Amino acid sequence: MVESCISNKIYSYKHECKWPNSEAADVHNIIVRKSRSKGFLVFFSALLILANVILLFLIKDKSIAVVFWSFIWDVLIVKLLLRKPVEKESVVVMPALGVQLETHYVSGKIIRRFVPIDKILKPVLLECVTPVTCYWSLSLIIQEEAELMLVFKELRPPVKMLVPIWKALCAATGSEGSLNTFTDDGPCC
Amino acid sequence: MVSDFFYPNFGGVENHIYLLSQCLIKLGHKVVVLTHAYGNRSGVRYMTGGLKVYYVPWKPFLMQNTLPTFYGTLPIIRTILIREQISLVHGHQAFSTLCHEALMHARTMGYKFTLADVSQAICVSHTSKENTVLRSGLPPEKVYVIPNAVDTAMFKPAAERPSGNEIVIVVISRLVYRKGADLLVEVIPEVCRMYPNVRFIVGGDGPKRVRLEEMREKHSLQDRVEMLGAVPHAQVRSVLISGHIFLNSSLTEAFCIAILEAASCGLLTVSTRVGGVPEVLPDDMIVLAEPDPTDMVQAIKKAISILPMIDPQDMHNRMKKLYDWHDVAKRTEIVYDRALKCSNQSLLERLSRYLACGAWAGKLFCLVMIIDFLLWRLLQLWKPAEDIEVVPDIVLSHDEDRGISQDFQAFNKDHSLR
Repeated sequence: MVESCISNKIYSYKHECKWPNSEAADVHNIIVRKSRSKGFLVFFSALLILANVILLFLIKDKSIAVVFWSFIWDVLIVKLLLRKPVEKESVVVMPALGVQLETHYVSGKIIRRFVPIDKILKPVLLECVTPVTCYWSLSLIIQEEAELMLVFKELRPPVKMLVPIWKALCAATGSEGSLNTFTDDGPCC
Repeated sequence: MVSDFFYPNFGGVENHIYLLSQCLIKLGHKVVVLTHAYGNRSGVRYMTGGLKVYYVPWKPFLMQNTLPTFYGTLPIIRTILIREQISLVHGHQAFSTLCHEALMHARTMGYKFTLADVSQAICVSHTSKENTVLRSGLPPEKVYVIPNAVDTAMFKPAAERPSGNEIVIVVISRLVYRKGADLLVEVIPEVCRMYPNVRFIVGGDGPKRVRLEEMREKHSLQDRVEMLGAVPHAQVRSVLISGHIFLNSSLTEAFCIAILEAASCGLLTVSTRVGGVPEVLPDDMIVLAEPDPTDMVQAIKKAISILPMIDPQDMHNRMKKLYDWHDVAKRTEIVYDRALKCSNQSLLERLSRYLACGAWAGKLFCLVMIIDFLLWRLLQLWKPAEDIEVVPDIVLSHDEDRGISQDFQAFNKDHSLR
């Protein structure tokens, strides 16, 4: 049963409640919207470079090694830019047990991390500052760990999608959620 | 507020930015400070009163200044200006590269701001204004003088003056060339020789400390000259109230908050007549001298003779009336209002102004600004302003019992479900 849905250009957020009668599991999904334009652009530019080099080879008599190397280079670039595309990331909140963080890749691979409820001290919304930009991220403060655990490892959803997930996590862990908490700098500075 | 110099560094500029920001927050404005990262301190921090500070992870490369890459800071500054919904950019300290870059980018993006190409500039003393107008070619009507102030609540004189026959002269400053540490090396032994009942307390650290230690050894003044090392700002007052006279030997100074702090604590000041120092204190609270050892010794002599006529509490009360950060904030607000009223100059108009700067310099400035403009447009296409989320205004609550729903009202208003 889908309870709410927010979306923007890149991501869309779906909140599902499995077994609505009991308080069992609460699933929050952040799904990456398929953007064909990026893949198209990458392939097109790779093709362009290859065509250029082949032309050079045919007209200006450059050696076949150049074509070979540029082909390898193209393949590497395509792999780099389109590597490990993420299909969606989910947070499954099980109030009495814990929180499961899942990352689903397009290739079908799923990576799951489970955090028991008593290990979570507090979920926090942080602002991360990098040399070129600034964004919000949702993290968990884990007992006996020096580092914060990022809820969404690969994706950077906007804060309006993070807020309901944060509220749900606060409710599950029983910590008082308030925007007045002074936050520390995030793990990505 | 943009500057390379902010907490955890301590100094006049840092204090000025912090206190001015606090007073502006009390007047109801939203203030965000932008500076570079200090060691591990990087990211977003909050200070008293909800003052938000962005420590951008750019490494400082020379004397606490970030590397001037010209366009490198454009993306992060644009992001911060949009997400915090800034309407005015105030750059601090003419030597800060981050400040200049931020002002340049803000100008390109059409923001109004204060500090050649600024809407308004603020100087801390009339001497400083003269200097600025002469060197930058800014019209004098655009330059305002708002002096710094001192926190008179913190700097109070001692309940009882240090008694006894001894006269204690206090020096607190960074022991660097600019602050006249070399003058001290000449002056201290001479004064100690002339007045057997005078003692010195020297607080502060720096490259010239070694010279002072050597001077102490050479003239065997270990019991007459006490070296305290670096004094944290919170303890400056307790050091000041242990003395009768404050000695400032700076070679250049736009304003000098240190002598304000000393006067607020009821000390008579002896200082070099440089920069904006003569404008700071009334004539009966300060004895001025040329930055020359003999002249300074004469000035100290005069100060010792008028010392019995000084009443510390009276001095403090006068300082309270003369200098107040709330007053500074109100005057700054007036300058902000004038800046915001200034009409927006289009790119072409500004370019024509730059060309007039000089034969080569003018064309160079034009080129720099055109590239900045193009880069900004490119950024607007790549990361449109609508995609940058606005940060909700955080309201400080003293009552922690409020539920989650109330705190999110501000949030939910801005981010309704699409």
